[in-house]
Amino acid sequence: MDIIVCIKRVPETAEADLVIDGTKKAIETDDLVYSINEWDNYAVEAAIQLKEAEGGTITVISVGPEENNEVLRRALAMGADEAIRLTDPAFEGSDAYAMAKVLAAAIKDMPHDLILTGVQADDDGFGATGVALAQMLGLPYAALVTDIKKEGDTLTVHRELEGGLEEVDTLKLPALLTIQTGINEPRYVSIMGIRRVAKKEIAAKGAADLGLSENDVGLNGSMSQIEELFFPPVGEGAEIIEGTMDEKAETLVKILKERGGIA
Amino acid sequence: MEKIAVLVEHRQDEVRDITFEMLGKAHQLVGEGGEVIALFLGDPSQKGLLDAITPHAHRVIAYLDTNLKNFEPLRYQAAFSQIFENVDCQLILMGQTAFGMDLAPAVAAKWEIPFTSDVVDIEASDGDLMAIRQMYSGKVNAKVSLKAGDKRLLTVRAGAFPAEDIPTVSGEVQEITGAVEGDFSARTFVEYLEAAVGDVDITQADIIVSVGRGIKDADNIPIAEELANALGGVVACSRPVADKKWLPKERQVGTSGKTVKPKVYIALGISGAFQHQAGMKNAGTIIAVNKDPKAPIFGIAHYGIVDDLFKVVPALTEKVKGIKG
Amino acid sequence: METMEQSLPERLDLYTCIQCGKCTGGCPVSIKSPLNIRRVVRESAVREDLHVFFSRLEIWDCTTCSTCAIRCPRGLRPVDAIIGLREMMVEEGRIEKTIIDALDGAYKYGNPWGRAKNKRAEWAQDLEIANALEMDPGQILYFVCCAASYDPRVQSVAKSLATVLRAGGVNFGILGNKEVCCGSEIRRMGEVGLFEMLMEENMKNFTKVNPQTIVTTSPHCMNALKNEYEGLGAEVLHYSQFVWRLIEEEKLSFSTEVPMKVTYHDPCYLGKQNGVFDEPRNVLKSIPGIEFTEFGRCRENSLCCEGGGGRMWMEGTNVGKRLSEIRVEDALEMGVEAIVTACPFCLLTLEDAVKTTGNEEKIKVIDLMELASMGLGVRPEVEGRR
Repeated sequence: MDIIVCIKRVPETAEADLVIDGTKKAIETDDLVYSINEWDNYAVEAAIQLKEAEGGTITVISVGPEENNEVLRRALAMGADEAIRLTDPAFEGSDAYAMAKVLAAAIKDMPHDLILTGVQADDDGFGATGVALAQMLGLPYAALVTDIKKEGDTLTVHRELEGGLEEVDTLKLPALLTIQTGINEPRYVSIMGIRRVAKKEIAAKGAADLGLSENDVGLNGSMSQIEELFFPPVGEGAEIIEGTMDEKAETLVKILKERGGIA
Repeated sequence: MEKIAVLVEHRQDEVRDITFEMLGKAHQLVGEGGEVIALFLGDPSQKGLLDAITPHAHRVIAYLDTNLKNFEPLRYQAAFSQIFENVDCQLILMGQTAFGMDLAPAVAAKWEIPFTSDVVDIEASDGDLMAIRQMYSGKVNAKVSLKAGDKRLLTVRAGAFPAEDIPTVSGEVQEITGAVEGDFSARTFVEYLEAAVGDVDITQADIIVSVGRGIKDADNIPIAEELANALGGVVACSRPVADKKWLPKERQVGTSGKTVKPKVYIALGISGAFQHQAGMKNAGTIIAVNKDPKAPIFGIAHYGIVDDLFKVVPALTEKVKGIKG
Repeated sequence: METMEQSLPERLDLYTCIQCGKCTGGCPVSIKSPLNIRRVVRESAVREDLHVFFSRLEIWDCTTCSTCAIRCPRGLRPVDAIIGLREMMVEEGRIEKTIIDALDGAYKYGNPWGRAKNKRAEWAQDLEIANALEMDPGQILYFVCCAASYDPRVQSVAKSLATVLRAGGVNFGILGNKEVCCGSEIRRMGEVGLFEMLMEENMKNFTKVNPQTIVTTSPHCMNALKNEYEGLGAEVLHYSQFVWRLIEEEKLSFSTEVPMKVTYHDPCYLGKQNGVFDEPRNVLKSIPGIEFTEFGRCRENSLCCEGGGGRMWMEGTNVGKRLSEIRVEDALEMGVEAIVTACPFCLLTLEDAVKTTGNEEKIKVIDLMELASMGLGVRPEVEGRR
């Protein structure tokens, strides 16, 4: 089985104090630490487990500058066979739709039985690229997958729904799945392991190689565009809820409702 | 915007809250004289679900077909080819839910409808619209514009808009039957599965009620469980509680336990040692209940109650049960 | 550097083990864990495929206290067999999520808690401590440690140490946000490559600073820098050694009475592994008002707190009573008001044990530098909090 996994290199922002840059359309990235998008890490592990069970090859693809070789190498050390980087200044500013076009252009001519992406990326959080890509490639797909079983050319997958419910679907290969975190336990990739694949060639392809014009990609080829970034209003420390016990409980219920705390 | 269509989300014969949240926002956006259209796709036997929708939409377009009993994106797409021919609207709303995320990006790509996802607010100005969406795990908001188009498509985050106090209008129902045909065998719905009882994975939970040493005794754990059940969440704990085997090790949050990221984390009687914080600090909303006003947990909580958890929790559980009926 | 091509028993000379069992006899966790270090050594030597160990959670019970290595009559290091097995698990990626998180954190952020790099020196914000990278060569470099940099409880130790050093007239600096984890715990969790990376990063800055002496908060950092860092010219001292030297040289003395009945818990990496027993006791005894009692099990026979060897991130089988709880109960029986220790991990595990045994009202856990700071009339911010 030939599996393609699309992976993204994203800044880790959970711990960082973010700063919006002068253009007001991006954040300052100098001090940020980058790594593979969490969801994509699970997708790579899912691919490796399928390969271990079924045989085949795994190709990882990432869109971005040379730094993206880091995450590609990490995936190689983890167990992928080949890595391809799609890179072109014209790709900058691409939204999920334009990004899906770039990936589709690269994947359409590659042998593929199964394509995996993460459900979403930690940076722009569209949760849309994988499904848009499936549509462009004309493949059946399922989003938010938490379990995969293969029998012949049929996959049985579980999708994570809200409130602890799962949906079981069957899909005919070739197909695309977007992988949810928790589907497996991604293995650790040691520093030694990464050093061992340090010399492996990673092919780079630009817009022209993929037969894409400037109007297909980047801001021109996107459906949406960031006009302005701003910080959501936040308070300092805990807001202490006062009042009688009844009032406190009442306020809490209100907060729970607003913040999705009642399923 | 004069006309906004909302895709009704229903599952297991129940209309989901997100539908009303979208209807409410749609009413606000179209204002007086505008039209809110509810798009219902379902089996003829599910017609009864329309009763909840009709009062809140000017028009309900119901595609009734045995092919549409369950949410299946290929079948929904087939219905959409009709919708795009027949329904006049400038904006379509779907949920950024397991349902919408499995459909909207494909619909947008197939018909090249300007689209963005996971929207937490929508601003209308001069006939155009701006979508507010969150980036970097909610740390930054982005104001996003969409390409020009006859129709646009947005998916809306669950809980972003209130589901209550939606204007009541006299909706007219337009039924379209036998409309969906095609070969849908590439993806087939099999069944729904309830998460197995006793097989709780706290890392996947949206709502966590977590107990620390303040719970005092294993016999008091049911107090937390009752609250968790009422909220639809799960119970987790800090290390001392797992150490004492009051709860299984799999429920422990922290550096030597699990790292969790629920929408809401309620810390009961947890002082919030650094090792514990490392496992839960990225929760969407943290609510702490602790007798000690100096407990470090208040440093990272969004909301705090300085009081006895044995008083707060029963009062809260009762209220939650009350609103859930 | 030995290569991985050598098999584990070859590399560690395990074939020469005479199976006398002195290692297991002295192993502090053997009383509660299925871990039998003698058997691990034997099996590592005779088994063809060491993968059998991968499913044995007790491999992670070992705290790497190294009592086994001290007791071995053949001079072998049984503890290194454990670390060797962990290395294999790391190489194949088959380790628990909590360990992966710790290793990822150290790789990306230079600390196993994955806290932001640029917040490492936040604890020192208002203390006006010199940037070591701007000092003249031949000075004192204070190596802070991840726990002391980020954990609010241990930050109090770093602040107290700064107070004590100042009182002793010491000119010292820190690497600030440039310091990264010493890698001691990382190595013991089996990630040699990452240990080397962290070592190289710190060595780059040590070379730039070129200090005469490096003083550490943690015995674990001290052990790594002193015994495992290659090519480090500077003298490496644990703070207890350095502060005792200041007292001996009459540069520092304590004038504030601290009336308190205390005992001292020997950190394994300070005592057993580096023979530093007297200096911390001497510092303790030079604080006026301190009434000092020894634990029954002290010095070479001290009971491990179970905080080292990766145990902060991985619990292993976690059966039986925590040794730290036994330690607290022993101390209570002795009638002391506080257990004094000199290691961030001991401080945290013992303090946890005070909580889990419900003895917050009866006994405190204090770091030696917090006590010293009190002897100078400065009360530490987090003095036995909770």
